[in-house]
Amino acid sequence: MEFVAYATFFGTVALSYALITLGLNVQWGQTGLFNVGVAAFVAVGAYTSAILTTPATEGRIGGFDLPLPVGWLAAAAAAALLANLVAWLTIRLRADYLAITTFGVAVAVQLAVLNLTPLTGGPFGITFIPRPFGAWASDPALFGFANLALVAATVLAVYAVLECLARSPWGRILRAVREDETAAEALGKSPRRLRIQAFTVGGAVMGLAGAVQAHFVGFIAPENFLPTLTFQVWAMLIVGGSGNNRGAILGAVLVWAIWAASGALIGAVVPAELQARAASLQIVMIGLALCAILLWRPGGLLPDRPRRPRAR
Amino acid sequence: MNPQVFVDGIVAGSMIGLGAIGLTLVYSILRFPNFAHGELVTAGAYFALSLAALIGAAVGGTAPIGPFSFGWAIVLAALGAMVATAALALALDAVLFQRLRRRGAAVIIIVMASFGASLALRSGIEFVYTASPAYFTRELQIAMRLPGGLRVTPDQLAALALTAVLVVAVHLFVTRTAAGRAMRAVRENPALAALAGIDVDRTIRLVWVLGAALACAAGITAGLLIQIRPTMGFDLLLPLFAAAILGGVGSLPGAVVGGLVVGLGEALTVAFLGAEWRAGAAFMLLVAILVVRPNGLFGRAGG
Amino acid sequence: MSRPVRLDGLVAGYERDLPIVKGVDFAVAAGEFVGIFGPNGAGKSTLVKAVAGAAATFGGAAFLGDTLLTGLPAHKVLGAGLAFVPQTENIFATLSIAENLQIAAEVLPRAARAARIGAMHAMFPDLARAPHRPAGSLSGGQRQMLAVARALIVSPDAIILDEPSAGLSPRLAHDVFTTLARINAAGTTIILVEQNVRAALAVVSRGIILVDGRVRLDAPAADLAARDDLGALFLGTAAAAA
Ligand SMILES: Nc1ncnc2c1ncn2[C@@H]1O[C@H](COP(=O)(O)OP(=O)(O)OP(=O)(O)O)[C@@H](O)[C@H]1O
Ligand SMILES: [Mg+2]
Repeated sequence: MEFVAYATFFGTVALSYALITLGLNVQWGQTGLFNVGVAAFVAVGAYTSAILTTPATEGRIGGFDLPLPVGWLAAAAAAALLANLVAWLTIRLRADYLAITTFGVAVAVQLAVLNLTPLTGGPFGITFIPRPFGAWASDPALFGFANLALVAATVLAVYAVLECLARSPWGRILRAVREDETAAEALGKSPRRLRIQAFTVGGAVMGLAGAVQAHFVGFIAPENFLPTLTFQVWAMLIVGGSGNNRGAILGAVLVWAIWAASGALIGAVVPAELQARAASLQIVMIGLALCAILLWRPGGLLPDRPRRPRAR
Repeated sequence: MNPQVFVDGIVAGSMIGLGAIGLTLVYSILRFPNFAHGELVTAGAYFALSLAALIGAAVGGTAPIGPFSFGWAIVLAALGAMVATAALALALDAVLFQRLRRRGAAVIIIVMASFGASLALRSGIEFVYTASPAYFTRELQIAMRLPGGLRVTPDQLAALALTAVLVVAVHLFVTRTAAGRAMRAVRENPALAALAGIDVDRTIRLVWVLGAALACAAGITAGLLIQIRPTMGFDLLLPLFAAAILGGVGSLPGAVVGGLVVGLGEALTVAFLGAEWRAGAAFMLLVAILVVRPNGLFGRAGG
Repeated sequence: MSRPVRLDGLVAGYERDLPIVKGVDFAVAAGEFVGIFGPNGAGKSTLVKAVAGAAATFGGAAFLGDTLLTGLPAHKVLGAGLAFVPQTENIFATLSIAENLQIAAEVLPRAARAARIGAMHAMFPDLARAPHRPAGSLSGGQRQMLAVARALIVSPDAIILDEPSAGLSPRLAHDVFTTLARINAAGTTIILVEQNVRAALAVVSRGIILVDGRVRLDAPAADLAARDDLGALFLGTAAAAA
């Protein structure tokens, strides 16, 4: 029974990461836009939904007690808005400026959630975020399964929408822009507008993912949205194979499994007073894994398509 | 407004400028923004910390020099740490960046690799030294009074002087020497540089050595004036990028001016909004410059 | 001193499975002045880039005298005695005119540098006029002069130029060719890639026609100039027999 409970918990978390990874795949895998501020978009989604759906709280603006779907939609919209602004500002510039700007956005959002205490609860974050199927909480197994099913359905829906988009004329032109900008321009398509649209769609998915995580866990705090989150999601996408939506999901589940297993191993093997130190080794591992894959298997496990061999 | 704000801003700004010159050098010649530059800053500070402890234990030199808080052990350790940081940067290039360059990987892939390297290095440093802050010395400094009621510590003055000396030295090196000329040639056109007889790989190694030594200097200065933490360089990264872009990527004097602007911006933010918003200054300046003048205050159009 | 250049079955290009130069043999004697002609995209630039180490070689070999050039790192080729002027981006526009010359002179012993830079100023007076201005401020013709001067400064045993007359007025192109003839007369082996075939045939002693990565014809300049099917040769339609 305990195993089943753990498996549903694991699956739910892994799938919520898969959702973020799908969002990043639209930006990076399909469009080639480098986002180093994934955590910021997830945070904006999580906080938006949390503020809208929690019951009114003393000393904090909001707690508007709105229904859950409203929170989720607003989360996607808020993150999309942020993504749109960032993209509009930087995509006309060099690709590396987008990377630097998104990095800055992550710092700024972290700063905002930490310091806008009346809205975000500051360092303590927001608690008592309503959980889906809260009425069934007395039956942990049913409750867990229901949550897993909801997250899985969300992933499936987003996957289906993204696949449709990728196969639509819009997605095909997007690919064309990624491969050969001038050719796409010759077709009369503005690469800049397409890129902004893709970045916005990706941001929306990340925001939705943030809301899903917030409601599944029940509380959020600034430390849930540190740069490590961005790194994890990147590792997931690169392992799975950027450009490929199924690869993104596979990578998320796999990397989360490795992460959780190594965490459990450290918890079991390393003495308590050294655990904080050992946890940093876990992060070293993700960093190394990211570099190793870039060096030796740039296509990931499920590559987008066979790469053309290059001359040395 | 209290004019002390400007003193604080200039001191912080000179530290940022020091780190930003290294960043902008690597950025313009190797053509990628190195997200692991912050970790070179951090590693430099920790190398110096360990070396100073070793030197102090072996031969002494821990007694403060004159009005400063640090002794000869730290000055010697600083030189050793620059060598060690340069070695770290060269190793990173050899195992990671050079391979990606040779494979003809896109800029953004190299950026991502630097991102992974940054994470691994930072957590590696945290593993070795733990997350708790460390200090070069516990000496307390008495601030000197300047006209106008301003206060500045001898250490802060030393940091300003060090920045000024290093900036001028690097500028002269890049503009006046054969090695500096080779660096500028590689920056413009690596293929032509090779045809003109320049050893491009050697020049790139030199860029790493310079960039890393400057990062180390920034780390030691920050360690002396504030404290040493595994995240010190990472926290400095956004101000460094803002300074480099403000000054126009590749411009050394620009990076220093950009650093001063960011430092002053941070000091003003602290004065008007409170210390908790300090880190927001660099972001606002970065966004402002990208909107108004993406090539930097001194950058060429299209450069 | 001047040395011969020899190519043995050179295969070169940018991707191993897609060679652009598909096995080229020819020899240029010491002190000879040879032109390489051919249609756009024939692989002329790729061929000479491969000889100079700026494009990948997948098979065969190139020699300067007894020195094997193939496999030499690009920055060692100049020191070995072969100078190369690429077709495009052949000067450092952000560096000053003086610095452009100093960079190449770096290969020489310290004592010899000033004299060689002086010799280049004598040959191309335009370059001595404002040596500290950025090279990017030069006109098209002056840029070509700077590029040629950069190559000549080391007194190479052989020099390869890729379309030095491109974009120049007929008059300036003529000047460049005359300068090259003078350098050749002083004993330097020259290989000249040109689109401007008629003008080049007046100065070279031999022409090699490259079509689709292979030598189609290798004949004395006078024979080539006399042929009235030169245009067709370029399209690869005429018979190769001389
Ligand atoms: N850097 C490169 N990467 C890949 N392919 C290239 C590159 N440069 C040239 N090519 C290809 O190699 C072929 C030959 O090009 P090359 O420049 O050698 O021709 P060329 O004979 O010099 O032509 P032109 O007279 O126009 O200068 C062309 O098909 C071109 O597309
Ligand atoms: Mg050509």
